[in-house]
Amino acid sequence: MADIELRDVTKIYPGASTPAVDSLSLSVDHGHIVTLLGPSGCGKTTTLRLVAGFERPDAGSVLIGGAVVAGPGAWVPPERRDIGMVFQEHALFPHLDVAGNVGFNLPKNDRSARVDEVLDLVGLTGFERRMPHEISGGQQQRVALARALARRPVVVLFDEPFASLDADLRVSMRAELRRILKAAGTTAVFVSHDQSDALAISDTIVVMRDGRIEQVGTPREVYQFPHTRFVADFVGRTNLFEGRIGTDGRSVETEIGSASCRHTHSLPPGTPVVVSVRADSLELDAEGPIVGRVKETTYTGRAIDAVVEVERADGTTRDVMVHAHPEQVVVCGDIVRFRVLPDFVAVIEE
Amino acid sequence: MRSLISIRAWRSVLVALVAVLALAGLAACGTGAPEPVSTEEAPDTAAEATGELIVYSSRNERFVDPLLEKFSADTGIEVRTLHAGDTVVNKLVEEASRPLADIVIANDIGMLEHLRLNGILTSPGAVDGIDSIEDRFRAVDDSWVALSARTRVFIYNKDLITEEEMPTTVWELTDPKWDGMFAITRGGNSGMIGHVSALRNEWGDEQTEEWIEAVKDNAGAITEGHGDIRRAVGAGEFAFGLVNNYYYHQQLREPEDNNVGVIYPDQGADEMGAVVNAAGVGVVAGGPNEVSTRIFLEWLLLPENQREFSFASLEVPVNPEIEAVEEARPISDYRIQGMPLSELGEVWEDTRSLIERAGLDMELR
Amino acid sequence: MRAVATARGTATALWSRVWGGRPPGGWLSSFGVLIGLVMVLPVWYVVWRSAFAGAERWLRLLDDRVPSLLWSTLSLAGAVTVLAAIAGTLLAILVHRTDLPGRRVWRWLFAVPLAIPPYVGAMAYIVVFGPRGWLMRWTGSTPLDMYSFAGALFVLTVFTYPYVYLVVGAAISRLGGTHEEAARSLGLGPVAALRRVTVPMLRPAIGAGAILVALYVLSDFGAVAMVRYTTFTSAIYYQMGGFDTASAMVLSVVLIALTLIVLFAEGVTRRRMRVTGHTTSRPAEAFSLGRWKGLALALSAIVGAISVAVPVAVLAYWSWIGAGLGAFDDRFWRFAFNTLQVAGLAALLSMVAALPVVYLRSRHPSVVSSLIEKLAYAGYALPGVIVAVGLIAFGVRHVPLLYGTAGMLALAYVVRFAPQAMQSAGASLALVSPKVDEAARIQGLSPGGVLARVIVPLTLPGTLAGGALVFVSAIKELPATLLLRPIGFDTLAVRVWVESSEAVYHLAAPPALLIVAMSVLPLKLLLDRFGKD
Repeated sequence: MADIELRDVTKIYPGASTPAVDSLSLSVDHGHIVTLLGPSGCGKTTTLRLVAGFERPDAGSVLIGGAVVAGPGAWVPPERRDIGMVFQEHALFPHLDVAGNVGFNLPKNDRSARVDEVLDLVGLTGFERRMPHEISGGQQQRVALARALARRPVVVLFDEPFASLDADLRVSMRAELRRILKAAGTTAVFVSHDQSDALAISDTIVVMRDGRIEQVGTPREVYQFPHTRFVADFVGRTNLFEGRIGTDGRSVETEIGSASCRHTHSLPPGTPVVVSVRADSLELDAEGPIVGRVKETTYTGRAIDAVVEVERADGTTRDVMVHAHPEQVVVCGDIVRFRVLPDFVAVIEE
Repeated sequence: MRSLISIRAWRSVLVALVAVLALAGLAACGTGAPEPVSTEEAPDTAAEATGELIVYSSRNERFVDPLLEKFSADTGIEVRTLHAGDTVVNKLVEEASRPLADIVIANDIGMLEHLRLNGILTSPGAVDGIDSIEDRFRAVDDSWVALSARTRVFIYNKDLITEEEMPTTVWELTDPKWDGMFAITRGGNSGMIGHVSALRNEWGDEQTEEWIEAVKDNAGAITEGHGDIRRAVGAGEFAFGLVNNYYYHQQLREPEDNNVGVIYPDQGADEMGAVVNAAGVGVVAGGPNEVSTRIFLEWLLLPENQREFSFASLEVPVNPEIEAVEEARPISDYRIQGMPLSELGEVWEDTRSLIERAGLDMELR
Repeated sequence: MRAVATARGTATALWSRVWGGRPPGGWLSSFGVLIGLVMVLPVWYVVWRSAFAGAERWLRLLDDRVPSLLWSTLSLAGAVTVLAAIAGTLLAILVHRTDLPGRRVWRWLFAVPLAIPPYVGAMAYIVVFGPRGWLMRWTGSTPLDMYSFAGALFVLTVFTYPYVYLVVGAAISRLGGTHEEAARSLGLGPVAALRRVTVPMLRPAIGAGAILVALYVLSDFGAVAMVRYTTFTSAIYYQMGGFDTASAMVLSVVLIALTLIVLFAEGVTRRRMRVTGHTTSRPAEAFSLGRWKGLALALSAIVGAISVAVPVAVLAYWSWIGAGLGAFDDRFWRFAFNTLQVAGLAALLSMVAALPVVYLRSRHPSVVSSLIEKLAYAGYALPGVIVAVGLIAFGVRHVPLLYGTAGMLALAYVVRFAPQAMQSAGASLALVSPKVDEAARIQGLSPGGVLARVIVPLTLPGTLAGGALVFVSAIKELPATLLLRPIGFDTLAVRVWVESSEAVYHLAAPPALLIVAMSVLPLKLLLDRFGKD
C-alpha cells in the first residue's frame, strides 16, 4: 500500500498565472526513498509542502497512510499528519540542546529512551548536551534527521537537505542518510535540484518540470533511458541525435550512423525519433565507425571530457560530447574514432 | 525600482537637512555663543560701564523678566538672564573661580546668606537707598538685600471649614483631628526649610523633630511646591494648607476655585508670631560688570522698583513705606517670629539634615 | 646617541606591533585618541571628583540616600522594562505575524511614540490624568495618580515600548517560518509552535530591546521629574540645587555603576544567545485572528490612542489655544532657532568625530582602535545629567573659554549622541571592502586621499543619517541642556520644561509640538536601522 498518494493535485499561488503544481498524481510505497528532482520553480518544493501540510491544494487530494489529509472537505494540519521533516538549513531550535531538539514534543515517559535510540541510529550518542551552534554542519544534519525520526512518522520529508553542506560532506552524508533510512525502514521523500544527490540516494526519482511530472523511474532508468529531452538534459549531460528506428527495430539510424538501442519503446521501424546518447556511452576506439576531430578537451581527473566535431552524411558538421578514460591522451586537433555502446542510448518519444 | 526612487528622494532630503544643520552650526560657532567675559580684563575696565548685566535667578521668570526689562528700558543696560531654579546655587559655587554672573536673585534669604558665607557674594560698598531696608533684612555687609517678604500662613477653603474652626498655631498641625485634611510641601522646598529653621530657633531641635514627625503623618498630601497646595485647597481637595502668603493672593485672583481664606498663625500675645522669609538680590563677588551692578542696585532700591519687585509675585514689600498689594497685610501689621533672616544661611545644612532625619522626604518619591 | 636611536626604534616597532603591523598615519591616530579622550572626559571627571567627596559623605549617602534611590530607581526600571517587553513583543507579533487589518499603518504607528520625548508625554498625560486634568474636570475622578510610581510607570512604558517593538519586529522578519514549520512537523499546533519555538528564539531580541528600555529609564530625567518621582537622575539634578555638589558626584558614580551593570548584562546575553539568521527561509505564515480580530483591532486602537493620538491631540489643542494667545511670537522662534543652532552644531561635530573612530576600527583593527571606540561610547549609555555635571565641573576649571557657551552644550550632545553617528557611519563603512581602499592606493592616492576621495563619499549617506539621528536626539535632550545652556539661551526643550512645570500649557505645548514634528522626520531612519540589525 502506498504511504503517500497525490491524486490530481493542483496548487496555484495567489497572484500567479500558472499553477505551481499542475494536476499531479504520484504514489510512494512504504519504505521507499523518493526524490522530487527538477530545476528551481518546477514545483517540487510546493509538492513537498503540500504533503507536509504547509500549503493547501486548490484541487485534488493528498493521502498519507491511506487517509485523506487534504482534499475536498478534508484538512489535517501538519502537526497531525504523522510526518517528519528535515529542513534545508536544518532549522534546529537554537535555544535547545541536541537532546532537547531530538526529544522535542515527545511523550515524557518514552522521551529519554527514544532520544538515546535515535541518537544511536544517527551516531551521535554523547552529544546530548551540546548546543546546535557547537556542532558541525554534518552533525547538525544528523540531529535534524534524528529529530524527524524520533516520533516514528509514516514518512520523512527532506527539503534540499544537502544544499548547505560542502562537497565532500555531501557525498558521505548521502550514503549515511540512505543507510539510516533503510535501517529505520522509513518512507522518505526528498526534494533536490542536484541530479547526483538524487541518483545516489533514491529508490525512485520523480523528475518534475513546470508543475508536472516529466518521468518517474529508478535512478538507472532515469539516467539511462530518459523519456524526454528535458530529462535527458537535466539528469546528466547528453548528446541528442535525430534519426529513425532501424529496420531491425533494435537500432536507430542517426545523422552520424547507426546505433544499437535496447530501449525503443517498440516503435515500428522508420519512425522518426530523437535519441539521447550519453557521453559515457561513446567510447574512443581505433576501430570505431565514427570519425571526428577533437575541438576541446577538459581534464577532470575522473575522465577527459572531449568535444569532437563530427561530419554528418550531408557534409555538415556537429559537435558531440565524448568521455575518454583519463589515461588516454587526447589532444586538440587529433582525428579520433569512436563507437556507440548500446547501454546508454535511449529513444525519446517526440 | 520604486524603493530605489524613494531611497534617492530620502537621500536628497537628508542632504538638504544637513546643509541647514551646517549653516546653523556655523552660525552657532560664530555669533550664537555668547562671548564669556574674561576676568583678566576686569581690572582695567572695572570702572567703566560695560553696558551689560548678567543675572542668575532662581525665582519664577514671570516675576523677574518684566522687572529686568524695565531696568533695560530705564538705563539702556542690556540684561542677560539665566533662569535656572535652584541649580543657580551650584552654578555660582562651581564658577567661584571665574564668575560669570553679576547679580543673583533668590527666593530665599537662606540661600543668599549661605552663598555669602561661602565667599560667593561681596559687599557692593555704599549704595544709595539701601537704608530704606531695615538692617535685619540685609546682610551684615550688604552683599544681599531682601526686598519682598513672604509669611508662612494657612490658606483654607471657606466651603469646607470656617475661620473659627481653623487652627491658629503651627503646633496645632500635630493634632490628630486634622488627619488627612491639610497639605504641606516636601522637605527640600526652600520655604519649608526656612520655616523649620525658624521653628528650631524657637523650640529647639527636639521639639522641632517631634513636630515634623507628627505633621508629615497627619498631612493629607506632601506636594512638590506651594502652587499645588493653593490649587488643591481652592479646588476643595483639602480643607487647608501651609503656604507662603502670596499663594493665597494668587488663588484669590483665580477665575474659579477662589473661595479661600487666610490665617496668620501664632498671633497670640505669648505666641511666637508668623514665620517670615524673603526674596532678594545678592551681589556676586568678582562679577564681570561692576558698574552695571551698582547701577542696578540703586535702580532697584528706588521705591517704584521695590514695589515692582514684590508686586509681580504678590509678595509684601519689606520696606514698610511701600504699600502692599490689596489684600495683603503690611509686614508691620502682625507678629513675626524673631529669628534674623541672616541666620538662615548658617543653619541651612543642619536644618536639611534634621528634616531628613525626622522622616519628611526632601524630594517626592 | 645610539641608545636613543635604538630606544626610538623599539618604540616604533612596539607601536607598529600594537597595530598588527599596519599603524595608521600620525594625524589620524592622534585625532582618534583625542576624540576618545574628549568623549570619556565627563564621566572620568565625575568619578575623579567623587573621590574627593570624603569617606564620611560617602558613608552617609550609601547608608541613607542610596538604598532608597536604588529601590525607587530599580523598581521603576524593572517594572517599565517588563511591561515594555511584554507590550512590545505582543505588538510586534500582532503586526508581523497575524492578519490584523491595516498592518502597514499599525506597523508605523506603533513606532511613532519614539518621536515623542517621554517628558512631553508626561506633560500631555498630566493634562489628561492630572489632579486638575481633563478627566478630573469632566468626570470628577481620575483613573491614574500621575504624581506617583504608577504615573511614572505608565508614561515611561507608553513611550519606551517601541524599542522592544522594533527590535523584536526586525527579529521576527529575519527568523522566517522554517523553525515554526519544523515544530509543526513535530506535532505542535500553530499557537504552541509560536509559544514553544518562536518566542524562545526571540528571547535575545526581547532582551536587547528590554536593555534599551532599562538604560533609558535609568537615564531619563524629564519624565520622572515631571511626574515628581525621584530616581537617581532627578536626585542628582536637585542635588545640584543644594550646596552639596560632592553628593551629586557620589550619586552619579552609583548611577554610572548601575548603568555599567546593565551594559554588562547585555554583553552576557548577547554572547550566550547566538541565533543564526536564515536568509533563504520563507516568511512565516500569518496567523488568522478569526474571532479575535475585533479584540486585536481594539487593542491596537487603544495603544495607538494612548501612545500617539492622545498626546498629539493634547499638544495640538494647547498649541491652538497658545496660537490664539500669541505663543508663536519672536521669542518662540528665537528658542527654535537656538535649538536648531546648537543641535546642528552637535550633528556636525558628531559626524566629524565619527569618521576617524569608525575608520580606525574598521581599517586598523587593534587594541588601540577598539579602546578608542569603547571610550567614544562612554557617554552614550550614561544619563545626560551626569554628562552635564562632569562637563560643568571640568569646563569651568580647565576650559573657561568654552564654558558657558553654546559650544559647551553642543559638546555635551556630542558626548551623549555621537555614537549614533558612529554606528551609522560604521555600518556604511562595513559595506565598503578594504579592497576598495587598496585599489585606490594602487591608482596612486595617498592614505589621506583615500579617506577624502573614497571613504568619505562612500560612507556619506550613513554618516548623514547618523548626523540626522544626533540632531533629533539633541533637539529632545533636556537635563544636560538645563544645566549647560548659556546665559539667556533657552531651547525648545527648556521651554517645555519651564512652562509645563508652571502648568502654563499654552506656552509649553507649541515647543513640544515642534519637537515632536521634527523627531518624526527621521523615524524612517530609525526603522531602517532596527530593520538591519
